[in-house]
Amino acid sequence: MHQFPSRRRFLELSGLSSLSLLLGGCALSLVEGVVGKTFEPLNQSVESLLFNPQKLIPEFPESEIEPEALIVNTYRFTPVIDPSTFRLIIDGEVNNPLSLSIAEIQQLPHQTMTIRHVCVEGWAAIVQWGGVRLGDLVTLAQPKSDVRYVYFESADGYYESWDLASAVHPQTLLADQKNGEPLPIENGAPLRLASPIKLGYKQSKWVTRITLVNQLRRFKGYWEDQGYEWYAGL
Amino acid sequence: MTADSVIPRQNLSAKIFHWVNIISLLLMITSGLQIYNANPVFGGRNGIPFPPIFLLGGWLAGGRHWHFAAMWLFALNLLWYGIYILVTRRWRHRFVSDKDIKALQRTQNQKRRNYAWHRITYTAIVPILLLAIFTGLGMYKPAQFHWIVDCFGSWQALRIVHFATVPLVVIYAAIHSWLSLKVGGSRLVESMFW
Repeated sequence: MHQFPSRRRFLELSGLSSLSLLLGGCALSLVEGVVGKTFEPLNQSVESLLFNPQKLIPEFPESEIEPEALIVNTYRFTPVIDPSTFRLIIDGEVNNPLSLSIAEIQQLPHQTMTIRHVCVEGWAAIVQWGGVRLGDLVTLAQPKSDVRYVYFESADGYYESWDLASAVHPQTLLADQKNGEPLPIENGAPLRLASPIKLGYKQSKWVTRITLVNQLRRFKGYWEDQGYEWYAGL
Repeated sequence: MTADSVIPRQNLSAKIFHWVNIISLLLMITSGLQIYNANPVFGGRNGIPFPPIFLLGGWLAGGRHWHFAAMWLFALNLLWYGIYILVTRRWRHRFVSDKDIKALQRTQNQKRRNYAWHRITYTAIVPILLLAIFTGLGMYKPAQFHWIVDCFGSWQALRIVHFATVPLVVIYAAIHSWLSLKVGGSRLVESMFW
């Protein structure tokens, strides 16, 4: 039983193991593309089941704000926008398309929230955001009944899309304040998305256009189109 | 054959659980370390990343896809095995009991003492695996399971505990293999696989 394997047997075995290593390597990279596509729909349905559109996420006291913890991740460049000429476009499947100035947006109820901002990379920061509820803007635009998704375009070319339920959640804001101060340019001034229910890459900075649609387009978001998960709910 | 009667045999359910657990843990750890590298728990962007040989997924998105696919395999395998040992009452005689503790206190019989340690070790890994799932769920859905993050006091503490399950599982695997060999030799070890 335990005799030393013959030379022929040894060669057979080493041939087999290198073949399996080669096949294994190929199979692994093939599987890699399949794994995400296979499990993302399952995970997404579980995530949207867990998500309650009415439930408020508990907030933190102001004393727990971590001003240094919020890292600025920008993918291309930092656009500088003149607030006096800025217009926010809201269009798509709506009965009342809008083009709003900063002053007009500031007419809406202003809200602050102290929440945990969670990055896909693994770090998190407790931040206070102030702004108007995205849900209020969507209501103003009077979406048609079949609207299910919301697209966001940014001044730097970044783009994102959300499910409507998450976009109109009462803690999803178009923020113009960070930690009690006017929103800094590198954090997305004049307006950025802020929400406790989505990962950081969903929270577009320098938002210039909001488009309500009834189905997702081929391009879903800058990072999503490179392989990141689309729903990215927290 | 008399020799057959002393060969340890394992229930097929136990073997399947053991295999799936090993494979899913390997997938969870390697994809988890890939995610770790995007922002090391210790040191953040200045932290030391793990070398590629230990990683799965190629980049952050790939690592996350593997991690959130293998989590089903890992967690459901643990769940059905938990139900199985409850229903068959395996937990009564296959896991650590007061007899093992008494044996450690009273007997000098090295074989009995090794066996007691063996049972303590493989029972102790169960809460560690459950802790990995609990902390993982807290990091995956920190808004919906806000209370899980609160249990650990801070986000960083939660990340450290979740990560700590990796070295714990690796140390466990080494001690468990060594004790299995001591207690039952290669015949016991092989009985758990084939």
